[in-house]
Amino acid sequence: MTYQVLARKWRPKRFADLVGQEHVVRALTNALAGERLHHAYLLTGTRGVGKTTIARILAKSLNCEAGVGAEPCGECSACRQIDAGRFVDLLEIDAASNTGIDNIREVLENAQYAPTSGRYKVYIIDEVHMLSKSAFNAMLKTLEEPPAHVKFILATTDPQKVPVTVLSRCLQFSLRNMTPQQVAGHLARVLDVEQVSYEAPALALLGRAAAGSMRDALSLLDQAIAYGVGKVEEGGVRAMLGAVDRAYLYTLLEALAEADGPRLIAEAKALAERGVGFDSALGELALLLQQIALAQTVPAAITGDDPDAEAVLALAQLIAPEDVQLYYQIAIHGRKDLALAPDEHAGFTMTLLRMLAFHPLNAPGDSTPTPRAAASRPEPASRPAAPSEPSVEGASAAKALLARLSGRNGAARSAPATPDESAPADPEPEPARVEPAPRPVPAAPAVATQPEPGTPPSVELAPWEDAPDDAGDVAAEAWQAGASADDSAAEAWSEPAAPPAAAEPYVFDGDWAALVAELGARMGASRMLAHNAVLKSWDGRRLQLAVPESFRHLATRDYQEKLKAALAERFGQAPELSVSVEELGMETPAMREARFRQEQLAAARVNLENDPVVRQLVGEFNAVLLTETIQPVQEL
Amino acid sequence: MLYPWQAADWQRLNRERERLPNAWLFTGPSGIGKLAFAEHLAASLLCESPRPDHAACGQCEACRWFAHGSHPDFRRLTPLGDDEDEAKEGSKPTRKLPVIKIEAVREVIDFAHLTAHRSGRRIVLVEPAEALNPAAANALLKILEEPPAEVLFLLVAHAPQRLLPTIKSRCRAFPLTAPTQGEALAWLDAAGVDNARTELAHHGGTPLFEHDAALAKLRQQFLDALARPTLADAISLAEQIDRHKLPLALPLEWLQKWLHDLAGLRLAGQLRYYPDHQAALQALAERADLALLMGCYQSLIQLAPFGQHTLNVRLQLEALLMDYLNVFAARTAAR
Repeated sequence: MTYQVLARKWRPKRFADLVGQEHVVRALTNALAGERLHHAYLLTGTRGVGKTTIARILAKSLNCEAGVGAEPCGECSACRQIDAGRFVDLLEIDAASNTGIDNIREVLENAQYAPTSGRYKVYIIDEVHMLSKSAFNAMLKTLEEPPAHVKFILATTDPQKVPVTVLSRCLQFSLRNMTPQQVAGHLARVLDVEQVSYEAPALALLGRAAAGSMRDALSLLDQAIAYGVGKVEEGGVRAMLGAVDRAYLYTLLEALAEADGPRLIAEAKALAERGVGFDSALGELALLLQQIALAQTVPAAITGDDPDAEAVLALAQLIAPEDVQLYYQIAIHGRKDLALAPDEHAGFTMTLLRMLAFHPLNAPGDSTPTPRAAASRPEPASRPAAPSEPSVEGASAAKALLARLSGRNGAARSAPATPDESAPADPEPEPARVEPAPRPVPAAPAVATQPEPGTPPSVELAPWEDAPDDAGDVAAEAWQAGASADDSAAEAWSEPAAPPAAAEPYVFDGDWAALVAELGARMGASRMLAHNAVLKSWDGRRLQLAVPESFRHLATRDYQEKLKAALAERFGQAPELSVSVEELGMETPAMREARFRQEQLAAARVNLENDPVVRQLVGEFNAVLLTETIQPVQEL
Repeated sequence: MLYPWQAADWQRLNRERERLPNAWLFTGPSGIGKLAFAEHLAASLLCESPRPDHAACGQCEACRWFAHGSHPDFRRLTPLGDDEDEAKEGSKPTRKLPVIKIEAVREVIDFAHLTAHRSGRRIVLVEPAEALNPAAANALLKILEEPPAEVLFLLVAHAPQRLLPTIKSRCRAFPLTAPTQGEALAWLDAAGVDNARTELAHHGGTPLFEHDAALAKLRQQFLDALARPTLADAISLAEQIDRHKLPLALPLEWLQKWLHDLAGLRLAGQLRYYPDHQAALQALAERADLALLMGCYQSLIQLAPFGQHTLNVRLQLEALLMDYLNVFAARTAAR
């Protein structure tokens, strides 16, 4: 007889032989003992947890000549025939290759006839998720009310693909994944009987590699026996699985933390030479990063008896928490993209390079990565001080650098909105403002203290504004517009923290352009109207707008209603709105934008014309500047 | 026929002969001779008087049949499809994604259930296993798990993580070793390949690739244009690739490797695929904006599954090359 693989040879023949799945076995044995059997079962679970096996044992239990019961005898002709796969009343259908409605019809046509030799006609429909939609529907009636002698057992790895109408007609059992311990225990039993010598750690490794599936474990065991020439040893199994020695990952992460590119790539090469699977390497890397993140947030979760604890804690000090999160994301994505890279090696190194590219040292755009000074690295032994602030004591250079960077960014962004001189009236000192956090929260008090228009700080705060020109009052208005546009922007930023409507009712100061700029996209279609209108009057309740003759078509009721709705949202209550068509000679927001654009264009032109390089080109090569093609860059 | 670097693998495999699995899954990077290895194994299993090292004799009737590709107990599941029709139309490369369809699998299932013509052993070779479409892969599951006696499946896969987990779980994996650089170079020299070293580096150290001089020339042009990123070049490049009716996968791969080398040079001072372009790469690497470079690479990855798709190659390539130009443009503009 030819050799049969372990997964087939060791397919359990009785419920008692099953590993795990006690919840299913118990339900089935009780049902069998009490003869309270459902007519259709659906078994679900990942690969190799025992779906087909349970289906076959159930078929045996139903048809055993010794009587229906949880313990099929295994000796009568029915049991033996079922084990050999040639029992006439057990129809095992491969739904994945017989997917069509015709296949199912053929099967179901025979369901009405009584069984030939057994007690029940058992239909095992395996891989049932692959049936076509019409095939499923063809089954429905028979599945709901089959003849008394018919039992259905459906098995699938993918119950989501099975229609709900089928699900509701079946008694569903979901099989659990095996734990590594269960797998290792079973493997030990198998090897004892097979008389193959083994080392326990090897089995633990296999148990973990099987990822919850007994068939995976047995396939791997077969491979391991072949690999080790009749022996299962830890070293051999490790090599076979391409399992990554964690020490390599530590050096990888260390090189990463120091932004040491050459060393990083050299380590990756070393990994490849050891025949490590890049897929599993990235998986392990993600796992390690997860542990590091855990060590940074909940250090108590890393117990001392874990052999990796010390290294993990050391790395937790070395890498900033934000970076750990980033690297974790990159590792996960890199693993997914591995199959799409030119080859696995490239995919792996590219993932590492990507981590390096977003390293804080490379972020500002240094052309060459400068390795961090070794002296600034904290002692690996120094443990985190408090659970909430894991790396206060051993603040590494990277962290400090990162904090500085983010502080600078935050300051740059919130500076226009938080004029410190302008807020002396603010009584309680805001602690959040002292800390250079990039969050916009500190902007809120500044806005609250600044409702009166025309306070001096806004003048200093808008250095990019153009110098005031022609019409005096319009210019002043524009000035305020610029300033309060900033305010409102800041307010929009801080909105999640304190909704302005709730904290303090909004007071419209008559600055129409600013209001339009603030409402922006929220106005929807009425934005056109708002942009091309000027504010005629505002008395706190009644808003009078005027649009020029050329925009008469915008003054319709439709647009007005929409504008009103947008304003109501901002003001907290609906203002009265009236729009008239007349020329007031004032500047609408749209005109203002157009003017700014013209000015920018003019400035760009002057800049280009005065540019020494351009002048040289014009002078020496007789070049011509195509002024009409100049476009100012839109500032975002 | 085995490649020189596969001798050790063959020995290792021979030790497993007493414990033949239902199905073997041969894995390893593409271009290291997995298919040749699997065929060698199939021939030796079908041979009626194998030599002491289990290799096929090449003399017996079975061997001769196998050599002619007409052994009745051997089936090959490959995504050929309507290859013959296209061969008639002329040798224009196809842009269709090759898949193995469920009909072919059903045929193989029928074949497996019939008795053998000769010695009793029947072999089914699935190559490449990634080409099985979902329906076909699922249809293979039952027969793969419990094939009739003396039926053996050989699966060849260069990206096993793309296979269904249910398929992988039913096979015994057998990773094949890639040749070392020395071995690969020696073999290439013996095969009389021009620029062996460059070509080998370009293919990531795997020696089995098509030696198509026209393609190599086109690749050279492509890389030269990449080395001097200008808008005009990018557009004419896209047009040229389109004119040659190349599938998107090829330029995609070239560009991926190029970016890999750029990033490698910039961050670690090392490159892998294009040592002959080192100077150009170095100059570009200095100018590149890293975040944009990674973004460009990411867009390549996103397109990679559609390498054989009927997308408009020129359009896609132009978009990609624009991305590529931006990698350098942003930094220049900032200055």
